Amino acid sequence: MFSKSHLLRRKILDKAMWALATFSLVCIVAPLAWLVWGVVGRALPHWNWSLLTTKPGGANGGGLSTLIVGTLVITAGVAVVAGIIGIGSGLYLSELCPEGKGKILRTASEVLSGVPAIVLGFLGYTVLVVEFKWGFSLGAALVVLSIMVVPYIAKATEVAILQVPTAFREAAEGLGMTRWQTLRRAVLKPAAPGIVTGLIIALAIAMGETAPLLYTAGASNNFPTSHITHSPVGFLTYAVWTDYNQPLAGSAELSATAAVLLLVIVLMLILLSRLVIRVSKKYSINNSHGGR
Amino acid sequence: MTQSLASDITTGPNQGDFDYSQKRIDDASSQLQVPLKTIDLSVGFSHSTILNEISLSFPKGTITALVGPTGCGKSTFLRTLNRMNDHVRGFWHKGSVVLDDVNIYDKSVDPLVLRRNVGMVFQRPNPFPMSIKDNVVSGVKAHKLAKRKDLLAIAESQLKEVGLYDAIADRMDDSPFRLSGGQQQLLCLARALAVGPEVLLLDEPTASLDPVSTSSVESLISALVPKLTIVIVTHNLAQARRIAQHAAFFFNGELVEHGLAAQVLEDPEHETTAQFVTGRMG
Ligand SMILES: Nc1ncnc2c1ncn2[C@@H]1O[C@H](COP(=O)(O)OP(=O)(O)O)[C@@H](O)[C@H]1O
Ligand SMILES: [Mg+2]
Repeated sequence: MFSKSHLLRRKILDKAMWALATFSLVCIVAPLAWLVWGVVGRALPHWNWSLLTTKPGGANGGGLSTLIVGTLVITAGVAVVAGIIGIGSGLYLSELCPEGKGKILRTASEVLSGVPAIVLGFLGYTVLVVEFKWGFSLGAALVVLSIMVVPYIAKATEVAILQVPTAFREAAEGLGMTRWQTLRRAVLKPAAPGIVTGLIIALAIAMGETAPLLYTAGASNNFPTSHITHSPVGFLTYAVWTDYNQPLAGSAELSATAAVLLLVIVLMLILLSRLVIRVSKKYSINNSHGGR
Repeated sequence: MTQSLASDITTGPNQGDFDYSQKRIDDASSQLQVPLKTIDLSVGFSHSTILNEISLSFPKGTITALVGPTGCGKSTFLRTLNRMNDHVRGFWHKGSVVLDDVNIYDKSVDPLVLRRNVGMVFQRPNPFPMSIKDNVVSGVKAHKLAKRKDLLAIAESQLKEVGLYDAIADRMDDSPFRLSGGQQQLLCLARALAVGPEVLLLDEPTASLDPVSTSSVESLISALVPKLTIVIVTHNLAQARRIAQHAAFFFNGELVEHGLAAQVLEDPEHETTAQFVTGRMG
Protein backbone atom coordinates (compact mmCIF):
# COMPACT_ATOMS: atom_id res chain seq x y z
CA MET A 1 0.00 0.00 0.00
CA PHE A 2 2.73 2.44 0.95
CA SER A 3 5.21 1.16 -1.54
CA LYS A 4 8.25 3.16 -2.46
CA SER A 5 7.01 3.91 -5.95
CA HIS A 6 3.84 5.41 -4.46
CA LEU A 7 5.80 7.72 -2.25
CA LEU A 8 8.12 8.64 -5.07
CA ARG A 9 5.25 9.43 -7.39
CA ARG A 10 3.65 11.61 -4.75
CA LYS A 11 6.92 13.43 -4.18
CA ILE A 12 7.35 14.09 -7.89
CA LEU A 13 3.79 15.32 -8.20
CA ASP A 14 4.36 17.56 -5.22
CA LYS A 15 7.46 19.07 -6.75
CA ALA A 16 5.76 19.48 -10.12
CA MET A 17 2.82 21.35 -8.61
CA TRP A 18 5.19 23.55 -6.69
CA ALA A 19 7.16 24.34 -9.82
CA LEU A 20 3.99 25.12 -11.74
CA ALA A 21 2.74 27.48 -9.05
CA THR A 22 6.08 29.27 -8.93
CA PHE A 23 6.15 29.54 -12.70
CA SER A 24 2.66 31.09 -12.72
CA LEU A 25 3.68 33.56 -10.09
CA VAL A 26 6.75 34.55 -12.11
CA CYS A 27 4.56 34.92 -15.20
CA ILE A 28 2.48 37.50 -13.38
CA VAL A 29 5.14 39.31 -11.41
CA ALA A 30 7.83 39.47 -14.09
CA PRO A 31 5.87 41.54 -16.63
CA LEU A 32 4.80 43.90 -13.86
CA ALA A 33 8.37 44.32 -12.69
CA TRP A 34 9.53 44.78 -16.26
CA LEU A 35 6.79 47.35 -16.85
CA VAL A 36 7.61 49.31 -13.73
CA TRP A 37 11.33 49.07 -14.43
CA GLY A 38 10.98 50.17 -18.04
CA VAL A 39 8.65 53.06 -17.35
CA VAL A 40 10.19 54.30 -14.13
CA GLY A 41 13.68 53.80 -15.50
CA ARG A 42 12.89 56.08 -18.39
CA ALA A 43 11.06 58.70 -16.39
CA LEU A 44 13.23 58.91 -13.31
CA PRO A 45 16.47 60.32 -14.80
CA HIS A 46 14.51 63.26 -16.15
CA TRP A 47 12.14 63.60 -13.21
CA ASN A 48 11.32 67.14 -12.34
CA TRP A 49 8.59 68.11 -9.89
CA SER A 50 7.71 71.09 -12.05
CA LEU A 51 6.29 68.64 -14.59
CA LEU A 52 3.34 68.29 -12.24
CA THR A 53 2.63 71.99 -12.20
CA THR A 54 3.51 73.00 -15.78
CA LYS A 55 1.08 72.98 -18.68
CA PRO A 56 1.92 70.87 -21.69
CA GLY A 57 3.16 72.55 -24.87
CA GLY A 58 6.04 74.73 -25.78
CA ALA A 59 9.38 73.89 -27.28
CA ASN A 60 10.43 71.32 -24.69
CA GLY A 61 6.98 69.71 -24.46
CA GLY A 62 6.13 71.40 -21.17
CA GLY A 63 4.58 69.52 -18.23
CA LEU A 64 1.55 67.41 -17.52
CA SER A 65 -0.51 69.46 -15.05
CA THR A 66 -3.65 69.88 -17.13
CA LEU A 67 -3.56 66.26 -18.24
CA ILE A 68 -3.38 65.03 -14.65
CA VAL A 69 -6.39 67.14 -13.74
CA GLY A 70 -8.18 65.98 -16.91
CA THR A 71 -7.64 62.32 -16.06
CA LEU A 72 -8.78 62.86 -12.48
CA VAL A 73 -11.90 64.71 -13.63
CA ILE A 74 -12.76 62.02 -16.17
CA THR A 75 -12.18 59.27 -13.59
CA ALA A 76 -14.30 61.03 -10.98
CA GLY A 77 -17.03 61.55 -13.56
CA VAL A 78 -17.00 57.87 -14.48
CA ALA A 79 -17.08 56.97 -10.78
CA VAL A 80 -20.26 58.96 -10.37
CA VAL A 81 -22.04 58.13 -13.64
CA ALA A 82 -21.00 54.51 -14.10
CA GLY A 83 -20.97 53.94 -10.34
CA ILE A 84 -24.61 54.93 -9.92
CA ILE A 85 -25.83 53.16 -13.06
CA GLY A 86 -23.66 50.08 -12.58
CA ILE A 87 -24.42 49.54 -8.89
CA GLY A 88 -28.08 50.31 -9.57
CA SER A 89 -28.23 47.71 -12.36
CA GLY A 90 -26.47 45.12 -10.24
CA LEU A 91 -28.94 45.76 -7.45
CA TYR A 92 -31.83 45.49 -9.86
CA LEU A 93 -30.52 42.26 -11.35
CA SER A 94 -29.91 40.55 -8.04
CA GLU A 95 -32.82 41.83 -5.98
CA LEU A 96 -35.69 43.26 -7.90
CA CYS A 97 -36.13 42.05 -11.43
CA PRO A 98 -38.10 38.97 -12.49
CA GLU A 99 -36.05 36.07 -13.79
CA GLY A 100 -36.97 36.41 -17.49
CA LYS A 101 -36.06 40.08 -17.67
CA GLY A 102 -32.85 39.37 -15.83
CA LYS A 103 -31.72 36.94 -18.50
CA ILE A 104 -32.22 39.49 -21.25
CA LEU A 105 -30.45 42.19 -19.28
CA ARG A 106 -27.54 39.95 -18.36
CA THR A 107 -27.06 38.86 -21.96
CA ALA A 108 -27.21 42.45 -23.17
CA SER A 109 -24.68 43.42 -20.55
CA GLU A 110 -22.33 40.61 -21.52
CA VAL A 111 -22.54 41.54 -25.20
CA LEU A 112 -21.87 45.16 -24.32
CA SER A 113 -18.79 44.28 -22.31
CA GLY A 114 -17.49 42.37 -25.33
CA VAL A 115 -17.62 45.38 -27.66
CA PRO A 116 -14.08 46.67 -28.28
CA ALA A 117 -13.37 50.04 -26.70
CA ILE A 118 -12.38 51.55 -30.02
CA VAL A 119 -15.76 50.65 -31.52
CA LEU A 120 -17.52 52.32 -28.62
CA GLY A 121 -15.27 55.33 -29.07
CA PHE A 122 -16.05 55.51 -32.76
CA LEU A 123 -19.78 55.28 -32.04
CA GLY A 124 -19.43 57.97 -29.40
CA TYR A 125 -17.70 60.14 -31.96
CA THR A 126 -20.28 59.71 -34.71
CA VAL A 127 -23.31 59.93 -32.44
CA LEU A 128 -22.39 62.26 -29.59
CA VAL A 129 -19.60 64.41 -30.98
CA VAL A 130 -20.93 64.79 -34.51
CA GLU A 131 -24.63 63.94 -34.59
CA PHE A 132 -25.58 65.51 -31.26
CA LYS A 133 -23.08 68.29 -31.92
CA TRP A 134 -21.56 67.94 -28.44
CA GLY A 135 -18.11 68.39 -29.91
CA PHE A 136 -15.09 66.83 -28.21
CA SER A 137 -16.10 67.01 -24.58
CA LEU A 138 -16.17 65.60 -21.08
CA GLY A 139 -19.82 64.65 -21.62
CA ALA A 140 -19.07 62.44 -24.62
CA ALA A 141 -16.10 60.87 -22.84
CA LEU A 142 -18.13 60.08 -19.74
CA VAL A 143 -20.95 58.51 -21.73
CA VAL A 144 -18.62 56.25 -23.72
CA LEU A 145 -16.38 55.25 -20.81
CA SER A 146 -19.41 54.63 -18.61
CA ILE A 147 -21.06 52.42 -21.22
CA MET A 148 -17.78 50.57 -21.33
CA VAL A 149 -17.49 49.85 -17.59
CA VAL A 150 -21.11 49.70 -16.44
CA PRO A 151 -21.43 45.98 -17.30
CA TYR A 152 -18.36 45.31 -15.21
CA ILE A 153 -19.64 47.21 -12.18
CA ALA A 154 -23.10 45.67 -12.52
CA LYS A 155 -21.65 42.17 -12.59
CA ALA A 156 -19.40 42.82 -9.58
CA THR A 157 -22.37 44.23 -7.65
CA GLU A 158 -24.63 41.34 -8.56
CA VAL A 159 -22.04 38.74 -7.57
CA ALA A 160 -21.25 40.52 -4.30
CA ILE A 161 -24.94 40.65 -3.38
CA LEU A 162 -25.59 37.05 -4.30
CA GLN A 163 -22.76 36.02 -1.98
CA VAL A 164 -24.40 37.60 1.05
CA PRO A 165 -25.62 34.75 3.28
CA THR A 166 -29.40 34.33 3.19
CA ALA A 167 -29.22 34.11 6.97
CA PHE A 168 -28.76 37.90 7.13
CA ARG A 169 -31.82 38.43 5.01
CA GLU A 170 -33.88 36.02 7.09
CA ALA A 171 -32.82 37.76 10.27
CA ALA A 172 -33.94 41.09 8.88
CA GLU A 173 -37.24 39.74 7.60
CA GLY A 174 -37.86 37.96 10.88
CA LEU A 175 -37.53 41.28 12.67
CA GLY A 176 -40.13 42.83 10.42
CA MET A 177 -37.76 45.09 8.53
CA THR A 178 -38.96 46.61 5.30
CA ARG A 179 -37.44 45.59 2.01
CA TRP A 180 -35.29 48.69 1.93
CA GLN A 181 -34.12 48.26 5.53
CA THR A 182 -33.30 44.64 4.82
CA LEU A 183 -31.32 45.65 1.76
CA ARG A 184 -29.43 48.41 3.50
CA ARG A 185 -28.62 46.70 6.79
CA ALA A 186 -28.43 43.04 5.91
CA VAL A 187 -27.40 42.95 2.26
CA LEU A 188 -25.54 46.04 1.05
CA LYS A 189 -23.29 46.29 4.08
CA PRO A 190 -21.73 42.84 3.71
CA ALA A 191 -21.68 43.23 -0.07
CA ALA A 192 -19.88 46.57 0.07
CA PRO A 193 -16.29 45.26 -0.19
CA GLY A 194 -17.10 43.35 -3.37
CA ILE A 195 -18.95 46.29 -4.87
CA VAL A 196 -16.14 48.72 -4.06
CA THR A 197 -13.50 46.39 -5.50
CA GLY A 198 -15.48 46.09 -8.73
CA LEU A 199 -15.94 49.83 -8.95
CA ILE A 200 -12.25 50.58 -8.40
CA ILE A 201 -11.09 48.07 -10.99
CA ALA A 202 -13.59 49.54 -13.44
CA LEU A 203 -12.19 53.00 -12.77
CA ALA A 204 -8.65 51.78 -13.31
CA ILE A 205 -9.71 50.29 -16.65
CA ALA A 206 -11.49 53.49 -17.67
CA MET A 207 -8.54 55.63 -16.67
CA GLY A 208 -6.16 53.61 -18.78
CA GLU A 209 -8.24 53.90 -21.94
CA THR A 210 -6.90 55.89 -24.86
CA ALA A 211 -8.78 55.08 -28.05
CA PRO A 212 -12.33 55.91 -26.89
CA LEU A 213 -11.02 59.11 -25.29
CA LEU A 214 -9.28 60.26 -28.45
CA TYR A 215 -12.63 59.95 -30.19
CA THR A 216 -14.66 61.71 -27.54
CA ALA A 217 -12.61 63.87 -25.17
CA GLY A 218 -10.42 65.05 -28.00
CA ALA A 219 -7.21 66.61 -26.84
CA SER A 220 -6.33 69.77 -25.01
CA ASN A 221 -3.42 71.44 -23.29
CA ASN A 222 -5.73 73.44 -21.05
CA PHE A 223 -7.44 72.63 -17.80
CA PRO A 224 -10.93 71.10 -18.09
CA THR A 225 -13.63 73.74 -18.08
CA SER A 226 -16.99 73.65 -16.36
CA HIS A 227 -18.65 72.93 -19.70
CA ILE A 228 -19.88 69.37 -20.16
CA THR A 229 -20.00 69.76 -23.94
CA HIS A 230 -18.00 71.70 -26.52
CA SER A 231 -14.85 71.66 -24.48
CA PRO A 232 -12.12 69.11 -25.18
CA VAL A 233 -10.32 67.54 -22.23
CA GLY A 234 -6.70 66.50 -22.08
CA PHE A 235 -5.74 63.25 -20.37
CA LEU A 236 -2.58 61.38 -19.40
CA THR A 237 -2.90 58.46 -21.79
CA TYR A 238 -2.89 61.01 -24.60
CA ALA A 239 0.56 62.11 -23.54
CA VAL A 240 1.75 58.53 -23.27
CA TRP A 241 0.49 57.88 -26.75
CA THR A 242 1.51 61.03 -28.67
CA ASP A 243 4.61 62.27 -26.93
CA TYR A 244 6.36 59.01 -27.42
CA ASN A 245 6.46 59.59 -31.18
CA GLN A 246 7.25 63.28 -31.09
CA PRO A 247 10.59 64.28 -32.52
CA LEU A 248 11.05 66.91 -29.81
CA ALA A 249 13.76 66.44 -27.24
CA GLY A 250 12.29 65.28 -23.95
CA SER A 251 9.03 64.06 -25.47
CA ALA A 252 9.74 60.40 -24.93
CA GLU A 253 10.62 61.15 -21.31
CA LEU A 254 7.38 63.07 -20.91
CA SER A 255 5.54 60.07 -22.24
CA ALA A 256 7.26 57.86 -19.67
CA THR A 257 6.47 60.32 -16.90
CA ALA A 258 2.80 60.31 -17.87
CA ALA A 259 2.86 56.52 -17.71
CA VAL A 260 4.42 56.60 -14.25
CA LEU A 261 1.75 59.04 -13.10
CA LEU A 262 -0.97 56.73 -14.42
CA LEU A 263 0.59 53.86 -12.49
CA VAL A 264 0.74 55.98 -9.35
CA ILE A 265 -2.91 57.00 -9.66
CA VAL A 266 -4.00 53.38 -10.21
CA LEU A 267 -1.96 52.40 -7.18
CA MET A 268 -3.63 55.09 -5.10
CA LEU A 269 -7.05 53.90 -6.27
CA ILE A 270 -6.19 50.38 -5.18
CA LEU A 271 -4.97 51.63 -1.81
CA LEU A 272 -8.17 53.63 -1.43
CA SER A 273 -10.26 50.54 -2.13
CA ARG A 274 -8.23 48.55 0.41
CA LEU A 275 -8.97 51.22 2.96
CA VAL A 276 -12.69 51.24 2.21
CA ILE A 277 -12.76 47.46 2.34
CA ARG A 278 -10.93 47.38 5.63
CA VAL A 279 -13.37 49.83 7.16
CA SER A 280 -16.45 48.05 5.83
CA LYS A 281 -15.09 44.68 6.84
CA LYS A 282 -14.80 45.63 10.46
CA TYR A 283 -17.94 43.68 11.28
CA SER A 284 -17.64 41.13 8.53
CA ILE A 285 -18.51 37.52 9.20
CA ASN A 286 -15.05 36.59 7.91
CA ASN A 287 -13.29 38.95 10.22
CA SER A 288 -13.35 37.33 13.64
CA HIS A 289 -10.12 38.88 14.85
CA GLY A 290 -9.91 42.38 13.34
CA GLY A 291 -9.33 45.48 15.41
CA ARG A 292 -11.94 47.77 16.84
CA MET B 1 -43.71 48.05 23.38
CA THR B 2 -46.00 45.04 23.37
CA GLN B 3 -49.06 46.52 21.80
CA SER B 4 -51.52 43.97 20.57
CA LEU B 5 -51.49 43.18 16.91
CA ALA B 6 -55.06 44.40 16.52
CA SER B 7 -54.24 47.88 17.73
CA ASP B 8 -51.45 48.11 15.19
CA ILE B 9 -53.06 46.68 12.16
CA THR B 10 -56.16 48.80 12.34
CA THR B 11 -54.28 51.96 11.60
CA GLY B 12 -55.32 51.71 7.97
CA PRO B 13 -57.95 53.83 6.26
CA ASN B 14 -60.77 51.45 7.13
CA GLN B 15 -59.92 51.45 10.80
CA GLY B 16 -63.42 52.27 11.93
CA ASP B 17 -65.37 49.63 10.10
CA PHE B 18 -62.97 46.76 10.59
CA ASP B 19 -65.05 44.02 12.14
CA TYR B 20 -63.15 41.59 14.27
CA SER B 21 -66.25 39.58 15.15
CA GLN B 22 -66.15 38.05 11.68
CA LYS B 23 -62.72 36.71 12.37
CA ARG B 24 -63.26 35.88 16.00
CA ILE B 25 -63.19 32.17 16.50
CA ASP B 26 -64.77 30.52 19.48
CA ASP B 27 -62.45 28.65 21.68
CA ALA B 28 -64.88 27.53 24.32
CA SER B 29 -63.34 24.09 24.49
CA SER B 30 -60.23 25.50 26.08
CA GLN B 31 -60.08 27.33 29.36
CA LEU B 32 -56.65 28.60 28.52
CA GLN B 33 -56.11 31.90 26.81
CA VAL B 34 -54.86 31.25 23.32
CA PRO B 35 -53.17 34.15 21.56
CA LEU B 36 -52.10 32.06 18.59
CA LYS B 37 -53.64 29.15 16.79
CA THR B 38 -54.00 27.61 13.38
CA ILE B 39 -57.31 26.40 11.97
CA ASP B 40 -57.36 23.77 9.23
CA LEU B 41 -54.08 25.16 7.98
CA SER B 42 -52.78 23.53 4.82
CA VAL B 43 -49.56 24.75 3.30
CA GLY B 44 -47.59 23.89 0.21
CA PHE B 45 -45.24 25.05 -2.50
CA SER B 46 -46.57 25.01 -6.06
CA HIS B 47 -48.01 21.57 -6.68
CA SER B 48 -46.81 19.92 -3.50
CA THR B 49 -48.63 19.93 -0.20
CA ILE B 50 -46.34 20.11 2.80
CA LEU B 51 -48.84 20.47 5.66
CA ASN B 52 -52.33 19.05 5.77
CA GLU B 53 -55.15 20.72 7.72
CA ILE B 54 -53.28 21.51 10.90
CA SER B 55 -55.38 22.84 13.77
CA LEU B 56 -53.20 23.65 16.71
CA SER B 57 -53.43 26.13 19.59
CA PHE B 58 -50.58 27.70 21.49
CA PRO B 59 -51.70 28.49 25.04
CA LYS B 60 -50.64 31.86 26.37
CA GLY B 61 -47.45 32.10 28.36
CA THR B 62 -46.35 28.54 27.74
CA ILE B 63 -43.76 26.74 25.69
CA THR B 64 -45.02 24.43 22.96
CA ALA B 65 -42.52 22.04 21.40
CA LEU B 66 -42.99 20.87 17.83
CA VAL B 67 -41.33 17.53 17.25
CA GLY B 68 -41.18 15.09 14.38
CA PRO B 69 -38.76 13.53 11.94
CA THR B 70 -36.72 15.69 9.56
CA GLY B 71 -38.70 16.88 6.57
CA CYS B 72 -42.12 16.48 8.18
CA GLY B 73 -42.82 20.20 7.81
CA LYS B 74 -42.01 21.69 11.23
CA SER B 75 -39.99 24.61 9.88
CA THR B 76 -42.50 25.30 7.16
CA PHE B 77 -45.25 25.34 9.76
CA LEU B 78 -43.31 27.65 12.05
CA ARG B 79 -42.51 30.06 9.23
CA THR B 80 -46.16 30.16 8.28
CA LEU B 81 -46.96 31.53 11.74
CA ASN B 82 -45.28 34.86 11.03
CA ARG B 83 -45.62 34.87 7.27
CA MET B 84 -41.94 34.26 6.60
CA ASN B 85 -42.98 32.09 3.67
CA ASP B 86 -44.82 34.87 1.89
CA HIS B 87 -42.00 35.52 -0.53
CA VAL B 88 -41.01 31.91 -1.05
CA ARG B 89 -41.63 30.80 -4.60
CA GLY B 90 -44.89 28.94 -5.07
CA PHE B 91 -46.01 29.26 -1.45
CA TRP B 92 -49.72 28.79 -0.85
CA HIS B 93 -51.90 28.23 2.20
CA LYS B 94 -55.48 27.33 3.04
CA GLY B 95 -57.19 27.76 6.37
CA SER B 96 -56.10 30.40 8.85
CA VAL B 97 -53.53 31.45 11.41
CA VAL B 98 -55.20 33.44 14.15
CA LEU B 99 -53.30 35.82 16.36
CA ASP B 100 -55.30 37.72 18.97
CA ASP B 101 -58.52 36.95 17.11
CA VAL B 102 -57.22 38.22 13.78
CA ASN B 103 -56.33 36.06 10.82
CA ILE B 104 -52.76 37.08 10.11
CA TYR B 105 -53.23 36.39 6.41
CA ASP B 106 -56.03 38.93 6.30
CA LYS B 107 -55.43 41.80 3.88
CA SER B 108 -55.50 44.35 6.67
CA VAL B 109 -52.54 42.78 8.46
CA ASP B 110 -49.16 44.34 7.84
CA PRO B 111 -46.66 41.45 7.84
CA LEU B 112 -43.94 43.75 9.17
CA VAL B 113 -45.96 44.66 12.24
CA LEU B 114 -46.94 41.02 12.57
CA ARG B 115 -43.29 39.96 12.70
CA ARG B 116 -42.63 42.47 15.40
CA ASN B 117 -45.32 40.75 17.44
CA VAL B 118 -44.29 37.26 16.43
CA GLY B 119 -40.52 37.16 16.52
CA MET B 120 -38.28 34.44 15.17
CA VAL B 121 -34.90 32.91 16.00
CA PHE B 122 -33.22 30.50 13.63
CA GLN B 123 -31.18 27.33 13.79
CA ARG B 124 -27.86 28.97 13.07
CA PRO B 125 -27.09 32.19 14.92
CA ASN B 126 -27.37 34.96 12.36
CA PRO B 127 -26.24 38.27 13.83
CA PHE B 128 -25.91 41.13 11.36
CA PRO B 129 -22.47 42.33 10.26
CA MET B 130 -22.59 45.31 12.60
CA SER B 131 -21.56 45.97 16.17
CA ILE B 132 -23.05 43.94 19.02
CA LYS B 133 -24.92 46.97 20.26
CA ASP B 134 -26.31 47.79 16.81
CA ASN B 135 -27.38 44.18 16.46
CA VAL B 136 -29.50 44.27 19.59
CA VAL B 137 -31.27 47.47 18.63
CA SER B 138 -31.51 46.87 14.88
CA GLY B 139 -35.18 45.93 15.11
CA VAL B 140 -35.89 48.75 17.54
CA LYS B 141 -34.36 51.19 15.06
CA ALA B 142 -36.17 49.70 12.07
CA HIS B 143 -39.53 50.06 13.80
CA LYS B 144 -38.58 53.43 15.30
CA LEU B 145 -39.51 52.23 18.77
CA ALA B 146 -37.07 54.43 20.66
CA LYS B 147 -35.10 57.63 20.49
CA ARG B 148 -31.52 57.49 19.37
CA LYS B 149 -30.13 58.46 22.75
CA ASP B 150 -31.97 55.61 24.46
CA LEU B 151 -30.61 52.91 22.18
CA LEU B 152 -27.50 52.10 24.20
CA ALA B 153 -29.53 51.71 27.39
CA ILE B 154 -31.98 49.44 25.57
CA ALA B 155 -29.15 47.34 24.18
CA GLU B 156 -27.65 46.99 27.63
CA SER B 157 -30.89 46.02 29.31
CA GLN B 158 -31.73 43.48 26.59
CA LEU B 159 -28.29 41.94 26.88
CA LYS B 160 -28.77 41.74 30.63
CA GLU B 161 -32.11 40.06 30.11
CA VAL B 162 -30.50 37.28 28.08
CA GLY B 163 -27.60 37.03 30.51
CA LEU B 164 -24.96 38.12 28.04
CA TYR B 165 -24.14 41.56 29.33
CA ASP B 166 -21.51 40.70 31.92
CA ALA B 167 -19.52 38.69 29.41
CA ILE B 168 -19.44 41.41 26.76
CA ALA B 169 -19.95 44.70 28.62
CA ASP B 170 -16.70 46.14 27.25
CA ARG B 171 -17.23 44.76 23.74
CA MET B 172 -20.46 46.47 22.77
CA ASP B 173 -18.81 47.98 19.68
CA ASP B 174 -17.10 44.79 18.59
CA SER B 175 -18.06 42.44 15.81
CA PRO B 176 -20.60 39.82 16.92
CA PHE B 177 -18.72 37.17 14.97
CA ARG B 178 -16.05 37.09 17.62
CA LEU B 179 -18.54 35.74 20.13
CA SER B 180 -18.98 32.01 20.66
CA GLY B 181 -21.86 30.29 18.88
CA GLY B 182 -23.89 30.20 22.07
CA GLN B 183 -23.26 33.88 22.75
CA GLN B 184 -24.25 34.72 19.19
CA GLN B 185 -27.51 32.87 19.64
CA LEU B 186 -28.20 34.72 22.89
CA LEU B 187 -27.49 37.92 21.00
CA CYS B 188 -30.04 36.93 18.36
CA LEU B 189 -32.53 36.25 21.12
CA ALA B 190 -31.84 39.67 22.63
CA ARG B 191 -32.36 41.23 19.20
CA ALA B 192 -35.67 39.42 18.77
CA LEU B 193 -36.82 40.33 22.28
CA ALA B 194 -35.88 43.99 21.92
CA VAL B 195 -38.84 44.76 19.67
CA GLY B 196 -41.20 43.44 22.33
CA PRO B 197 -42.83 40.43 20.69
CA GLU B 198 -45.78 38.66 22.20
CA VAL B 199 -44.97 35.31 20.60
CA LEU B 200 -41.50 33.91 19.88
CA LEU B 201 -40.88 31.25 17.25
CA LEU B 202 -37.69 29.23 17.65
CA ASP B 203 -36.52 26.88 14.92
CA GLU B 204 -34.08 24.42 16.49
CA PRO B 205 -32.30 27.27 18.27
CA THR B 206 -29.71 25.03 19.91
CA ALA B 207 -29.10 22.60 17.06
CA SER B 208 -25.74 24.16 16.22
CA LEU B 209 -24.60 24.75 19.81
CA ASP B 210 -22.46 22.86 22.28
CA PRO B 211 -24.10 21.42 25.43
CA VAL B 212 -23.08 24.27 27.72
CA SER B 213 -24.42 26.95 25.37
CA THR B 214 -27.51 24.84 24.82
CA SER B 215 -28.26 24.84 28.49
CA SER B 216 -27.86 28.60 28.81
CA VAL B 217 -30.19 29.14 25.85
CA GLU B 218 -32.65 26.69 27.36
CA SER B 219 -32.71 28.42 30.72
CA LEU B 220 -33.26 31.74 29.00
CA ILE B 221 -36.18 30.32 27.03
CA SER B 222 -37.70 28.91 30.21
CA ALA B 223 -37.36 32.28 31.88
CA LEU B 224 -39.26 34.02 29.08
CA VAL B 225 -42.54 32.38 29.98
CA PRO B 226 -45.14 33.29 31.08
CA LYS B 227 -44.36 36.74 29.70
CA LEU B 228 -44.14 35.35 26.19
CA THR B 229 -45.81 32.56 24.32
CA ILE B 230 -43.15 30.35 22.79
CA VAL B 231 -43.22 27.81 19.97
CA ILE B 232 -40.03 25.82 19.62
CA VAL B 233 -39.11 23.31 16.95
CA THR B 234 -36.62 20.84 18.32
CA HIS B 235 -35.25 17.50 17.28
CA ASN B 236 -33.91 17.07 20.76
CA LEU B 237 -36.61 15.20 22.68
CA ALA B 238 -34.78 15.61 25.98
CA GLN B 239 -34.87 19.33 25.43
CA ALA B 240 -38.58 19.25 24.70
CA ARG B 241 -39.12 17.32 27.92
CA ARG B 242 -37.01 19.80 29.88
CA ILE B 243 -38.60 23.03 28.78
CA ALA B 244 -41.97 22.52 27.11
CA GLN B 245 -45.39 22.39 28.73
CA HIS B 246 -47.14 21.43 25.51
CA ALA B 247 -46.02 19.34 22.59
CA ALA B 248 -47.18 18.49 19.10
CA PHE B 249 -45.96 15.62 16.99
CA PHE B 250 -45.82 16.11 13.22
CA PHE B 251 -45.41 13.31 10.75
CA ASN B 252 -45.44 13.63 6.96
CA GLY B 253 -47.22 16.94 7.06
CA GLU B 254 -49.91 15.72 9.44
CA LEU B 255 -50.41 16.74 13.05
CA VAL B 256 -50.56 13.28 14.60
CA GLU B 257 -50.91 14.19 18.23
CA HIS B 258 -50.77 17.19 20.53
CA GLY B 259 -51.39 18.02 24.14
CA LEU B 260 -49.46 18.31 27.36
CA ALA B 261 -45.78 17.64 26.82
CA ALA B 262 -45.70 15.00 29.54
CA GLN B 263 -48.44 13.10 27.81
CA VAL B 264 -47.29 13.42 24.18
CA LEU B 265 -43.65 12.80 24.90
CA GLU B 266 -43.94 10.17 27.64
CA ASP B 267 -47.18 8.37 27.10
CA PRO B 268 -48.47 9.05 23.60
CA GLU B 269 -51.75 7.70 22.30
CA HIS B 270 -50.66 7.04 18.75
CA GLU B 271 -48.37 4.28 17.67
CA THR B 272 -46.34 6.58 15.33
CA THR B 273 -45.77 9.05 18.12
CA ALA B 274 -44.70 6.25 20.42
CA GLN B 275 -42.23 5.00 17.84
CA PHE B 276 -40.78 8.47 17.51
CA VAL B 277 -40.49 9.39 21.18
CA THR B 278 -38.95 6.06 22.08
CA GLY B 279 -36.36 6.45 19.38
CA ARG B 280 -37.59 3.62 17.23
CA MET B 281 -37.91 6.06 14.34
CA GLY B 282 -35.31 8.43 12.85
N1 LIG C 1 -39.26 26.54 -0.46
C1 LIG C 1 -39.64 25.26 -0.59
N2 LIG C 1 -40.08 24.80 -1.79
C2 LIG C 1 -40.45 23.52 -1.93
N3 LIG C 1 -40.43 22.61 -0.96
C3 LIG C 1 -40.01 22.99 0.26
C4 LIG C 1 -39.59 24.34 0.52
N4 LIG C 1 -39.21 24.43 1.80
C5 LIG C 1 -39.39 23.20 2.34
N5 LIG C 1 -39.87 22.34 1.41
C6 LIG C 1 -40.19 20.93 1.64
O1 LIG C 1 -41.10 20.84 2.70
C7 LIG C 1 -40.85 19.70 3.47
C8 LIG C 1 -40.76 20.06 4.92
O2 LIG C 1 -39.61 20.81 5.14
P1 LIG C 1 -39.32 21.48 6.53
O3 LIG C 1 -40.48 22.29 6.93
O4 LIG C 1 -38.01 22.19 6.43
O5 LIG C 1 -39.18 20.21 7.47
P2 LIG C 1 -38.58 20.09 8.93
O6 LIG C 1 -38.30 21.43 9.46
O7 LIG C 1 -39.63 19.36 9.71
O8 LIG C 1 -37.35 19.25 8.82
C9 LIG C 1 -39.58 19.06 2.93
O9 LIG C 1 -39.94 17.96 2.14
C10 LIG C 1 -38.98 20.14 2.09
O10 LIG C 1 -38.30 19.59 1.00
MG1 LIG D 1 -36.46 22.38 10.01
